[in-house]
Amino acid sequence: MDIKGKVLEAVDYLKSKGASYADIRYVRTETETIRVKDLAVESIVRDTSHGFGIRVIADGAWGFAATSTVSAGALRKTATRALQVARASALSQREPVRLAEAEAVRDSWKSPCLTDPFEVKLARKLDLLMGATETLKQKPQIRVAESSMTFVRTHKLFASTEGSLIEQDIVESGASLTATAVDGGEIERRSYPSSLGGDYATGGYEVVEGFRLAEHAETVRDEAIALLSAPPMPSGRFDVIIGGSQVALQVHESCGHAVELDRALGTEVSLAGGSFLTTDRLGTFRYGSPVVSITADATVPGGLGSFGYDDEGTRAARSPIIDRGLFVGYLTSRETAAALGQRSNGAMRADGWASIPLIRMTNVNLEPGTGSLDALMADTNGGFLLETNKSWSIDDRRLNFQFGLEVAWKIEGGRKGQMYRNPLYTGMTPAFWGSCDAICGREHWHVWGVPNCGKGEPIQSAHVGHGAAPARFRALELGSARQPAGGGKS
Amino acid sequence: MIGRDKALSTLAQVLAASKADAAEAVLVGGSTSTTRYANSAVHQNVSVDSARVTVRVVLGTRIGTASTNSLTGPDLRRTVRAAMDIARRQKPNADFPGFASPADYRAPEAFDENTAALTPKQRAQKLKKVFTRGARRSYSMAGAFTTGSGEVAVANSNGVQCYHARTSASLTCIATGPDSTGYGAAASRAAADIDAAAVAASAVDKCRRSRSPKDMAPGSYEVVLEPAAIAEIFNWLAFVTFGSRGFQDGSSCLAGRIGERLMGEEVTILDDAFDPACPGLPFDFEGTPRQRVELISRGIARSVVHNRLSARRAGTVSTGHALPPEEAAEGAIPLNLQLAAGSQSAAELVAGVENGLLVTRFHYLNGFLDPRRAMMTGMTRDGLLRIRKGRIVGGVRNLRFTDSMLDVFSRVVGISSERFLAAPSGDPFSMMHLPTVRVSALAFTGKTEF
Repeated sequence: MDIKGKVLEAVDYLKSKGASYADIRYVRTETETIRVKDLAVESIVRDTSHGFGIRVIADGAWGFAATSTVSAGALRKTATRALQVARASALSQREPVRLAEAEAVRDSWKSPCLTDPFEVKLARKLDLLMGATETLKQKPQIRVAESSMTFVRTHKLFASTEGSLIEQDIVESGASLTATAVDGGEIERRSYPSSLGGDYATGGYEVVEGFRLAEHAETVRDEAIALLSAPPMPSGRFDVIIGGSQVALQVHESCGHAVELDRALGTEVSLAGGSFLTTDRLGTFRYGSPVVSITADATVPGGLGSFGYDDEGTRAARSPIIDRGLFVGYLTSRETAAALGQRSNGAMRADGWASIPLIRMTNVNLEPGTGSLDALMADTNGGFLLETNKSWSIDDRRLNFQFGLEVAWKIEGGRKGQMYRNPLYTGMTPAFWGSCDAICGREHWHVWGVPNCGKGEPIQSAHVGHGAAPARFRALELGSARQPAGGGKS
Repeated sequence: MIGRDKALSTLAQVLAASKADAAEAVLVGGSTSTTRYANSAVHQNVSVDSARVTVRVVLGTRIGTASTNSLTGPDLRRTVRAAMDIARRQKPNADFPGFASPADYRAPEAFDENTAALTPKQRAQKLKKVFTRGARRSYSMAGAFTTGSGEVAVANSNGVQCYHARTSASLTCIATGPDSTGYGAAASRAAADIDAAAVAASAVDKCRRSRSPKDMAPGSYEVVLEPAAIAEIFNWLAFVTFGSRGFQDGSSCLAGRIGERLMGEEVTILDDAFDPACPGLPFDFEGTPRQRVELISRGIARSVVHNRLSARRAGTVSTGHALPPEEAAEGAIPLNLQLAAGSQSAAELVAGVENGLLVTRFHYLNGFLDPRRAMMTGMTRDGLLRIRKGRIVGGVRNLRFTDSMLDVFSRVVGISSERFLAAPSGDPFSMMHLPTVRVSALAFTGKTEF
């Protein structure tokens, strides 16, 4: 089937049936996931998924329909259904949908990929994972040793009634390593390069090899075992350096979601909630200290939130969000940008053919500061270094948060001293970022990939990135999972 | 929806294409329509048809898994070849228990033709009642109305052939006033059962009662937890406590503690796919008939759920709780949790509280803090109300709790006789049936500004 030709025909058909705007996406995604647990291959799964997603404005309202049947007949039928859905939406529409202006684009884009992961032999992948888990299992306290790799290859075709025709090919790769140590009733875990599925990037097999899982396995194993006999994190207010991967998650939860303009305008209230960064605060609200600058940048090479064009055909952009502590920008779509008299900064993405595009984070990056982690630790004696996320929770306007981490160390003589287990910290977003007084330099800055950002109904899982470096926060409220911060008891 | 005959013939085609020692094929499909509304207007309206076939093949004890959403003959055969290719390169799995054998399963009626055929226009008309109810108090209404049909078929080279189809409908509603919000929801297998006006009225009532919220200091308070709040907790318990993976890895609080008292005597938690109020899938994704499993019996830890692999490792039999093959690494998970009803009404539970809080629902719970103690944290949302001398007296700004669910369910004072259906994961096959629960103390550890 000539997919491109049929898609263009369907776009014309929608125009002829009265759609004031329509776009059609054909998306084909291939995924390979390999999981090793202890000394066995737990699963190897390959998946292929493709289909059409059709978005239509008719009678001033949106409609969306999608089908996994890739045929000319199904495409036409689904286009008709999208029109019907739009006309039903119009029954309760208050104001007609208005889109910000955008240029028609005819282009193609490919993410960087040195070694196609789907061409790498399975034996080579298994050797890498098995080697790392074997090191973890060398000590009997490690009850569970796990490693994994995931590769995703996506081809997207986008065509709109405004004349855009864009093709993109994106390859993503990620891996993880986790050791779980058990002793009696205690259980502790260390993960590398990050927890919750590891770290991801746009790129090929070179991304996974670059993590050097085997070289880090010994440290992961020994720290998990050491945590079993470490004392629980003390409660109180302390100066804290938070490691890069946790800073990335903090940016994700307390800034990335808060600056989604659809949330600020109330259209995500039903599930994820709203945002304390309401539109009246744009340009005037002090979000953080002057060292805090946050940028949404879909153009970072290798970022998991990098692409050529979003799913409305808007070119990838770099946009300021927080400028030296001041809240200056949102992540936007064509519809929401129009409400502010702006143009879209290209944040509309769907997690596949079956999903409607929503405002999603791109790479929402905390800009690096200066100096080394060693120098920052030397300047933070008596404080704590916290690393690697274990739990996360934040209120529905992105203000009150609590994060649990895998490990903490007291900073003694500018170095990691006593280890503590089950640390938690809690706070309110503006006060937290207001207490940030130092961010490590670019040599410590890394774009962490988050492959499972949930939003929308039906729920969608987006792939996003966050550039971050270790950063220091003054007088942060700490506690442990057994004695939570905030004065409550358990 | 492709229906029983086509589903099973598609799987037969897959099995016929396999040259492996054994093969299993699973089809999951359906049609789902969601109308989302916010600011009292529809803003997203989607309709999606999908189907996916996953095949597992076995060579000796080497397993390969591949899946596709294309049901054409060439693509199905390509998927079987991909699975074979993996199996050839895979390492042997000594624990592999083989595929399920044919067994009878009960199939409760769960398909409603009218729900499957509901049009976008009919959904929009139903929502007008929600907007009208909100407009009476100038509240902004937001939520989602989802209807759809789903089907699951499982077949394997041992002769298993299972098929089940169901419909579902759910409506959620959040009413937003100047300084408060309120929540209402309903779920059923039939759209006709959803009383949109009643759901909206419930949300409006909560929003009205929550207005002008007062600050309360974090601390330990007696609480009445409504079913939506219990559903959020149970959604996590299903994963971290009652699933086979956490149990066998040692992270579940039930690991090594079967037979011990972990919760209060009032608490009985079970997984039951055959509850007439919320029938679940009658077999699992390996084709094993679902069993009714008592997880906590009058406070005593009794069991977790199993798939075939975890059952073999535990020296028992599968309880019929396998997930789809591509999610098998997560182990077995209960999909239809229930908390046994008590004897008081929800109103009586509130009336018994001298000084406490009524929690409508939680937001963004997390159960990874310390799973050995079932520690969780989360925020209240959409209706946190102060109870004094047995009466609701006003709204309270939202609070964060951090507490052990073992402790919380050991402090149960009463459980309501009325139970409600909840679908916290949004999956029509995993509805829960839950009451309101009064707990003598819940540890609140933080607060927010609204």
